[in-house]
Amino acid sequence: MSASEGNYLHIVMPDQISDTRRNFGRFIIWGSAVLLILTVLLQSLDQSNFLSFGFENWRPTLYAYLFWAFCLCLGQVILYGEQGKRRLFILPAVLFVISVVIFPLIFALGIAFSSWNLSSPDGRQFNGLANVYQMWSDPFYWNALKNMIYYTLAILFEYIIAFSLALLLNTQIRARKFFRVAFLMPLMLSPVAVSWMIGKSMLEARFGPISRLARELGWENPSFFGSHEMARAVIMMMDAWTFIPLMMIMILAGLQAIPKEMHEAADVDGAPPWKKFWEITFPLMLPVSITAILIRIIFKLKLADIIINVTSGGPGGATDSVTSFIFREYRDRSNVGYGTFLAIFYLIIIVILMTILIKIADKWMRPRY
Amino acid sequence: MKVELYNHIVRNGLTRRTMLKGAASTAALAAMGGAVPALADGHSALRAAIMKIPGVGMGSPGDAEWQKVGEMCLGPVKDRVKPGEFKGVELTFMGLNNQNLHNFLFRGFLKPWEAYTGAKINWIDLAQADYNPRLQQSIATKTVDFDIIEMGAPFEGDTAGQGLLNEMPDWVKDQIDYDDLVGYLQPPVGTWDGKAYRINIDGDCHTFCYRTDYFGSGSITGRANPPKTWQEVNQISKDVVGKKDPLTGLPAHGFLDPLKGWGGFGMYFLTDRAGPYVKHPDDPAFLFDIDTMKPRINNPGWVQAIQDVMDLIKIDGAYPADQINADPGTTGFQQFLAGTGSMLTWWGDIGSNARTNDSSVIGDVVGFSMIPGSDKVYNSKKGAWENTYNEAPNNAYLGWGVYVTNRVEGDSKKRKAAWSAAAHIGGKDISLWTSAYPSGFQPYRNSHFVYDEWEAAGYDRAFIEDYLGSNLDTYNHPNSLNEPRIPGIFQYYSVAEDELAKGFAGQYSSAQETADAIAAAWEKITDSIGRESQIKLYKASMGL
Repeated sequence: MSASEGNYLHIVMPDQISDTRRNFGRFIIWGSAVLLILTVLLQSLDQSNFLSFGFENWRPTLYAYLFWAFCLCLGQVILYGEQGKRRLFILPAVLFVISVVIFPLIFALGIAFSSWNLSSPDGRQFNGLANVYQMWSDPFYWNALKNMIYYTLAILFEYIIAFSLALLLNTQIRARKFFRVAFLMPLMLSPVAVSWMIGKSMLEARFGPISRLARELGWENPSFFGSHEMARAVIMMMDAWTFIPLMMIMILAGLQAIPKEMHEAADVDGAPPWKKFWEITFPLMLPVSITAILIRIIFKLKLADIIINVTSGGPGGATDSVTSFIFREYRDRSNVGYGTFLAIFYLIIIVILMTILIKIADKWMRPRY
Repeated sequence: MKVELYNHIVRNGLTRRTMLKGAASTAALAAMGGAVPALADGHSALRAAIMKIPGVGMGSPGDAEWQKVGEMCLGPVKDRVKPGEFKGVELTFMGLNNQNLHNFLFRGFLKPWEAYTGAKINWIDLAQADYNPRLQQSIATKTVDFDIIEMGAPFEGDTAGQGLLNEMPDWVKDQIDYDDLVGYLQPPVGTWDGKAYRINIDGDCHTFCYRTDYFGSGSITGRANPPKTWQEVNQISKDVVGKKDPLTGLPAHGFLDPLKGWGGFGMYFLTDRAGPYVKHPDDPAFLFDIDTMKPRINNPGWVQAIQDVMDLIKIDGAYPADQINADPGTTGFQQFLAGTGSMLTWWGDIGSNARTNDSSVIGDVVGFSMIPGSDKVYNSKKGAWENTYNEAPNNAYLGWGVYVTNRVEGDSKKRKAAWSAAAHIGGKDISLWTSAYPSGFQPYRNSHFVYDEWEAAGYDRAFIEDYLGSNLDTYNHPNSLNEPRIPGIFQYYSVAEDELAKGFAGQYSSAQETADAIAAAWEKITDSIGRESQIKLYKASMGL
């Protein structure tokens, strides 16, 4: 490569920005901000019936926000030149997150501390800590939380199965490519489809093929969702069937990344297979394993669709998950205030739990080379 | 006078004695007139023709049949609308998609209407369980995004009460023959402050469906006749345990209680059982005390109904396996129509599906009657049981109707289009067809009870008299259950389903404890909606 082809060190120098340009930059940022504040103010007055401007919806505020966001970004370049362009790498993303996460969360907090029954002619009413007290004495919610512990613990078994399948698919077996695709199929299916195909059809007590098989095998009246333990276990199995491939594919990718030399060295040293697995494969796979488990936990904490479709949380709440209970509280009972509070509380639990898990996992993530 | 016509009049509440009285005789003839005109007017040929599409026993009708019926019944529309008159008009219709009926059916019916008028309809299809929240959210957030809605009368308090509906024009009343309705659907149902809003497309009541091969000489129950009381129902459920179903050879079962909720709709089925225990003829209320909204769900009458179910749960084999996960859709369509169980309460769909649905195996062995009574009734005002026979059939949900929202106001062309579309699917002739074939709707007009029309369509006379007669008996019963049209009624039902599920799963120690939990939850709902406004609307809905 010749020097003329641009082998220069690129240095960003402070731009020479004129006062006029600087003032213009400030003007569009602050001007658009004033416009946004004014629009919000007018819409609020209109909404609360103090003044009437004939606004049909909140779109004017949305447009004013988008205009302000655009001006803010443009203003960075005008005000700071090359440095401003750097800020554009992150600023739109920050604004987007604020728009679709932070704002809704703030509104949700407002709703969470309200009594808002959609059938009430009074609309939303601030009710302080009443939702907290209600949750504290709500056996359905605590039952659902308890079930979530069972569901989450089941991930350990899922992990063992996923690891085993990944090991199998990492060996030189016949039709390996076919099996890799076949094992991934459940992940491609929607949990709603799984719940109907398996939970409502194949496991149907009278006509379902699995029930028929069970009868053939001597189980007179097969019932897969009749008892608490059985129903919970079958829900776990359906969920596991759907998501084990996700863990499996992550672990498989990790297995394929292990240098062959390590196993070859172990072979030379005469290490037996179990020793090779326990001393080489498993430690090397710890970072991937923990990542896969953490992702799986996040998926598991959102478990709802299969439960809603198959058991509606029954029998007697034995399969209820927090999400399926909140769904029922919100959807069937139109209890928006309480439902939102439960969701926010659950979110806080998840954030704390995941932070602790990640901290603990961080120590394990370092492979023992 | 034909015997069957006489029977029809008697079912309308007239006796032979009153028939012979002069004044009453006139009334009786008028009543006959209400039933006869379908055959006497110029539409008789059309009605006979649509009843043959596709013909009883010719399989379930589909989109082709729905379009054909819609096309044939366009006459009243053409009388009032010019071809292409609504070109450029777009309407949004919100309704259900249960069992691929309701909106699917309306699509077929309205396709020829769209072709003729030039209007376009956009559809919002909702599952039964999603219907209530979708509607409530639209109302509460003031985002009503539909011009026409299929809605049950229980929601009239939420919609008409808040001025969200458009009043029905007089020409629509003429087009649909508005007065051709059974008694309990006459105003005030469908009206608010004296204004009419509802085009009826359905009449709702639960009837008692039973397997005729379980009764009679040599039957497995050993009983000559189907039960007349819930006490007998429970005894039969116990008696058939361990026996074989005469039709399928599988284990025989008695009454099919849905033990799993159904978005609030499951509560109607416990109400079927509880009705005769709790609906005293001298008291219009049965769910709440009218003056205080204090729940009655934990009074001895309701507790007895819950206890009856719990008694059967305890007996191994009284219910089919996995009954704890059977919702009403399961008990009606996957169990009863498929030959599992011998007794059921359901809407009239079971009757019309028994012989026309491809998956039904019970068409020749199904009978119908009014919901059983009880040999005792709880008098809530006196706080004591009375040992007298009591009947209280359940007009559950009061039927579906079609309403036009106030979004059409200010645009006369759109308003006319919306009402024309609604009137087409609620038309007199089309409604006969929906009553006779799988549609999700059951008979609701006086003109639906002309048995000759059904017989001519291929229905067995005895079957249809049995099926329609059970509906008519319920519609006109003096002590029938008409639920209060108060806001949030399904919230009460939904939370009751959750608590009942716990009770049925054995998580409460008794029926009383289960009922107390429901009552406590209902009190919270009443407080959250507003007790005073609930009391006011409850009284209004009860006509007090």
